[in-house]
Amino acid sequence: MSLAVPDEVGSALGTVVPSVEAAPETQSTGWRHRHLLDLDVVTWPEIELVMRTTDAMREVLGRPIPRVPALRGKSVTLLFYEASTRTRVSFEVAAKNLSADVVNIAVASSSVSKGESLVDTVRTVEALGADMLVMRHAVSGAPYLAARTFAGSVLNGGDGWHAHPTQALLDLYTMREHLPGGSVAGRKVVILGDILHSRVARSNIWALTAAGAELWLCGPATLLRGFEAWAAAGGAAGRRFTVTSSIDDALRDADVVMALRIQRERMAGGLLPSLREYTARFGLTRERLELAKSGALVMHPGPLNEGVEIAPDVASGPNSVITEQVTNGVAVRMAMLYLLAGAQAGGVASEESLR
Amino acid sequence: MTVATAPSVGEIAAELEISGAWLVDPAAGREGPADLVVREGLIEAVTWLSGGDADGIDANGVIVAPGFTDLHAHFREPGFEDAETVATGLAAAAHGGFTTVCAMPNTNPPVDEPGVLRRIEAAAGASGSPVRVLVYGAVSAQRAGERLASLGELADAGAVGFSDDGAPVHSTPLFRSALAYAGMLGVPLVDHPEDPSLTDGAEANEGLVASVLGLRGWPAAAEEAAVARDLAILAEVVRDVPTARLHLTHISTRASLALIRRAKADRLPVTCDITPHHLALTDEWLAGSRDWSWQATGNPWQAGSIVAAPYETALRVNPPLRAVDDAIACLEALADGTADAIATDHAPHTAVDKDVEFGLAANGISGIETALGLILEAVDAGRLTLLRAIGALTIGPARVLGHTQRHAFAEGNPADLIVFDRSDRWRVEASALASKGKNSPLIGCELPGRVLLTVAGGRMAYGVDEG
Repeated sequence: MSLAVPDEVGSALGTVVPSVEAAPETQSTGWRHRHLLDLDVVTWPEIELVMRTTDAMREVLGRPIPRVPALRGKSVTLLFYEASTRTRVSFEVAAKNLSADVVNIAVASSSVSKGESLVDTVRTVEALGADMLVMRHAVSGAPYLAARTFAGSVLNGGDGWHAHPTQALLDLYTMREHLPGGSVAGRKVVILGDILHSRVARSNIWALTAAGAELWLCGPATLLRGFEAWAAAGGAAGRRFTVTSSIDDALRDADVVMALRIQRERMAGGLLPSLREYTARFGLTRERLELAKSGALVMHPGPLNEGVEIAPDVASGPNSVITEQVTNGVAVRMAMLYLLAGAQAGGVASEESLR
Repeated sequence: MTVATAPSVGEIAAELEISGAWLVDPAAGREGPADLVVREGLIEAVTWLSGGDADGIDANGVIVAPGFTDLHAHFREPGFEDAETVATGLAAAAHGGFTTVCAMPNTNPPVDEPGVLRRIEAAAGASGSPVRVLVYGAVSAQRAGERLASLGELADAGAVGFSDDGAPVHSTPLFRSALAYAGMLGVPLVDHPEDPSLTDGAEANEGLVASVLGLRGWPAAAEEAAVARDLAILAEVVRDVPTARLHLTHISTRASLALIRRAKADRLPVTCDITPHHLALTDEWLAGSRDWSWQATGNPWQAGSIVAAPYETALRVNPPLRAVDDAIACLEALADGTADAIATDHAPHTAVDKDVEFGLAANGISGIETALGLILEAVDAGRLTLLRAIGALTIGPARVLGHTQRHAFAEGNPADLIVFDRSDRWRVEASALASKGKNSPLIGCELPGRVLLTVAGGRMAYGVDEG
């Protein structure tokens, strides 16, 4: 599974802009994946197709009635095994903006190990008529099991520590919107915080290295475990990124700084002495941000612990695009629902996008 | 070559005339073209061929070897008969070429007193299989790691060793006592080395693959720290109890093997085994690679070797599939004798326990029927000699058990042998496995060395249907 490098744009996908008014099955977008489980198998031209489709969805969102009939008659089921408001609502709004029917299923995570099996649940959802399944699960890889069972398309809404592909796509979209030239190629992007437990960081590694960013991952050594090895291996594959515990090195001349949520469980797990100490060493403050380029973008996937991983005046400061990330999240998810519906209609085999 | 056999499986004495096969005899340290005759279950004649009689016979065709001994298998009975029974386990063993199998005691109830051991022996007898089942007793009562099981009574009833496999003896004082007590009884303590405090919630070998897949890391150090502890305690115990013996099962990392190599050089009474999956597969399989360890590069994403979906739960096993370098170290340890035996850790599970999210799936690979195929792949790749590989399946495990191996091919002895065709590849399918456990990551693969015939204790245990 090799990944395309940014200069491969000259493919047939290079210019396609889907007309999002029409149902996706009426046109060929060139999107060839039945599912969106992670970005590791998505090529750079495909990511650019997502970006262009998102542009079209942004235009829809700007209308007085932000709705198109593209997915009329399609049923989108949101199957959330983990509590989530932001991502679930974002997908729900996205699906409704495309005129899809939406079914919400929340499963308490405590019943995961004793209740109905995931496979049975997915079969039930399918029998109830779902065409697309958006899934959030605490166990890494769970959407792959769902995708093996489900006849429609599975969209990973976050699995364990593994992946959160629509978050990485909306992050990329937001960066491109704000960076001069509309490109992250060669830009220094820093992801700061609890890298070890972060599916956002992992999906961003695939997206940002595909985009040619100069990616830095920064956090306490205990929360970077295993990423040195990945950085070393990725370097050889042309997917270079840098891992450091020096926040000064990371922030110096950065174009984008993305802080990640730090969770209290990390103290109980013996990975951090205290939140106070984390904030003192790794909190994103205005003084620290001085090291970055002036006007460097400040991002956060939310929800924020203001005053812990990010200072309130930074979160709401002039460089912050955190609120825009939320808006772009709806547009990106509309784009993905649209493209996957098209692939489904085009008869893309399930196995193809499982790897 | 020709094989003439009668009567069929389940009948009493094997009658065999094999002419012009490649005979592998690890006890004699010899392999070559030979004829073999079995009458009424006993070896009547073995004739090594030379000159013109040996023409055209090589090690790439039909091979006769002593029946294999598996030091580590789970037959699940009593308590988990939906995953395996003694009868299906023995059928699987015969299909895999094994004529002696050591059953682990993690049944329900566990084998912590002689009644359960006798129940397993009775099930083996009722199965009609001639494959011999040997039973390990538990180290601790209820396998709870708190106080010793009825070790003496279990030994009197025939337990061939003691193990709390899967629930490794974490208490060092209890481990020390068990080692001394088992030594007094003249049987080995079989430890699954793992420091559970380092593996709480662990899902996959800590390294590149686990990092990329977002799986909780299972550090090699969890095994190595336990190996180091076990060896330090062994060194002390043998001063008081010279008969104490430690067997470390399913060793999976380079550093563990280095510790064992040094301990053996120091003449400590330690032995170890390695599973076929830890020497042939790596953690890259979790990412969807299907390269054998000796083909793998350490980075399946870069190598473009990903051909299957990730998170296959049939690959979830304890200890986890390790890095490429660890698997290579396992092959080296087998070649240089640091590892005494190949053991399957055959761990059948139901679909209910495996057809779930990776992080919730049970650990274990149903492996007793694919062991020979994986090992022959390593032999074909030049990583092991055929003689050494067969030795690690026969005389190696016999020595671990302290059995003085009857010379497998000595005239007058009951025939205990297998016949397989090294060049005959067979497709691993769920329906082709005699085990109830279909949790094999090799389903769909073609493996070399179809077993044609298994004779255990002079009786037919398995025979492939002719035509």
